[in-house]
Amino acid sequence: MRERLRIALTKGRLQDRSVELFEGMGLDCTPIREPGRRLIHQIPNYPLDAVLAKAPDVITYVEHGACDLGIVGKDTILEHGHAFYEVLDLGFGACRFALAVKEGFDFYGGYQTRRVASKYPGVTRAFFEKKGMDVSVIKIEGSVELAPLLDLADGIVDIVETGATLKANGLVPIETVAQVSARLIVNTASMKLYKEQITDFMEKCQRELERGL
Amino acid sequence: MRYNANTPEGTRDRLFAQCRERRRVQKALTQRFRQRGYAEIITPEVEFYDLFLQSGSPMPQEAMMKVIDRSGRICVMRPDCTTPIARVAATKLRDMGFPQRLYYDQTIFRSDPADLGGSSEIAQCGVELIGAGGVRADAEVVALAVDALRDCGLRDFHIELGHVGFFRSLARALGLDPEREEEMRQFIESKNFPALDQLLQPYAGQPAWAALRRLSRLFGDVSVLDEACRLSGGNGALDYLRAVYQELASAGYGEYLRFDLGLVQRIDYYTGLIFRGYAEGYGAAVLSGGRYDNLVGCFGRPALATGFAVDVDGVSGCLPPEEPAPPDTLIHYAPGCLAAALAAMDRREAGRCQLSPFETEEESRALARQRGMSRLLLIGEDGEREVVL
Repeated sequence: MRERLRIALTKGRLQDRSVELFEGMGLDCTPIREPGRRLIHQIPNYPLDAVLAKAPDVITYVEHGACDLGIVGKDTILEHGHAFYEVLDLGFGACRFALAVKEGFDFYGGYQTRRVASKYPGVTRAFFEKKGMDVSVIKIEGSVELAPLLDLADGIVDIVETGATLKANGLVPIETVAQVSARLIVNTASMKLYKEQITDFMEKCQRELERGL
Repeated sequence: MRYNANTPEGTRDRLFAQCRERRRVQKALTQRFRQRGYAEIITPEVEFYDLFLQSGSPMPQEAMMKVIDRSGRICVMRPDCTTPIARVAATKLRDMGFPQRLYYDQTIFRSDPADLGGSSEIAQCGVELIGAGGVRADAEVVALAVDALRDCGLRDFHIELGHVGFFRSLARALGLDPEREEEMRQFIESKNFPALDQLLQPYAGQPAWAALRRLSRLFGDVSVLDEACRLSGGNGALDYLRAVYQELASAGYGEYLRFDLGLVQRIDYYTGLIFRGYAEGYGAAVLSGGRYDNLVGCFGRPALATGFAVDVDGVSGCLPPEEPAPPDTLIHYAPGCLAAALAAMDRREAGRCQLSPFETEEESRALARQRGMSRLLLIGEDGEREVVL
């Protein structure tokens, strides 16, 4: 039986919040805060090893069982998720997926097939499929807001936090596609094989989340 | 890309140790299946696409690898072994009485999205027990699952039991419409506790609510049956699970069994007890199965049925690698001495010696040295002589 659990954390903004959560749970996160050249960070006072990865890679590591646990945004799960357990809504990193168009544009009017630009083509396609509506989806890697301004697309589906960037570019969100926040995910086999360890970790998380509310 | 030098996505060449490990697992499994009275059948690698549509378990069409036959009909590379076997049991084996015990050792083909690192060819060994229902049939199959995995050499594994009837009766008690029920099923399957809580909010306080809310956490040892009973106020599916458990525990299988009442995958296909096997070292289930009482009837001969499939490479990945000793002896033989050389070879342990293709002893010596072999066996008219290099 494996003695230490492995968790993959999403690099960047979610990483800082994850570390805060862990520290609230009493975990000593010095190895993550001062990583040096190490890639696997051992928590000294809890049987947990942490690795940092890009969001879609967190899902890949957990699905293949290379990591037992992961912390990743719901946006990534909607776009790349396949098979794992999604056990806790960690609350932080909250924002929403929204459909945004140029101010005053009638997106649903007319009979022309709409073009929608997004960094999340899977989410976009699923959203319009559910409506029974044909759209052409264009994958954009960088600033998606640019696409409608250049008349490349009629609308965009993107993460909206404050809406400030949209507003500055004359775009308005017209519909929420999904609410998004950070989630704790678990490999399906690990959940069964290391039930005690994982339950303990989940309960600690949950207590800390409830304390924070 | 050079299409003449690479293999298609999701496929791979399997060399030496990978073949040995796969064969070792297949041999252990099939031997146990035969021991328990199951007879092998082989079904075509290619079947009509329609076969897999009417089976009540619509597999997403993008998951099947399609082939168009000479007449333009759509066929698929076998995506699952159970459906073709149900077809055979209901048609070719029409006149054979029930129960029928059938096993297979075949490859299934799945077309997964690119870049997931998965394989689109999956070696499966499994059994189907057709024409028998009830605790005895289910216990027989679960016991066989445990023994088969044990025969493969697995130690740290367990079989997890669930029952689709538990979820169904709770969902019915809430009176959910089919769409909400499917949404809830997905949340339970993915153990998405927050979303499940939210979905169930409007039903708070109803008797089934407490049990459904806990459903995705109801996994672990036999005590989850007690908890589920407390929450739901008792239920036919729980009584059934307990009966199967008692039968198996009294036969000594208790230590291998766990429960997960949140096993609700493919609920339109499975009709009763379902189970999965998990082993230390593999990130997914190595075995999965369950009761599918409606499938055989799709082919015109209703029959109760259950079975399971083992992911052969999943199991072999959990086993310690076995490195057989490399060839150590090279046999150099004189003209006319082939029979003696072959006889000498067959006396030795398999795989430990090879024949030299060379005519001169010098060339054979050089080959043996180059291959790191420690002995040269010289065979001539006057008998054999071993040289240590």
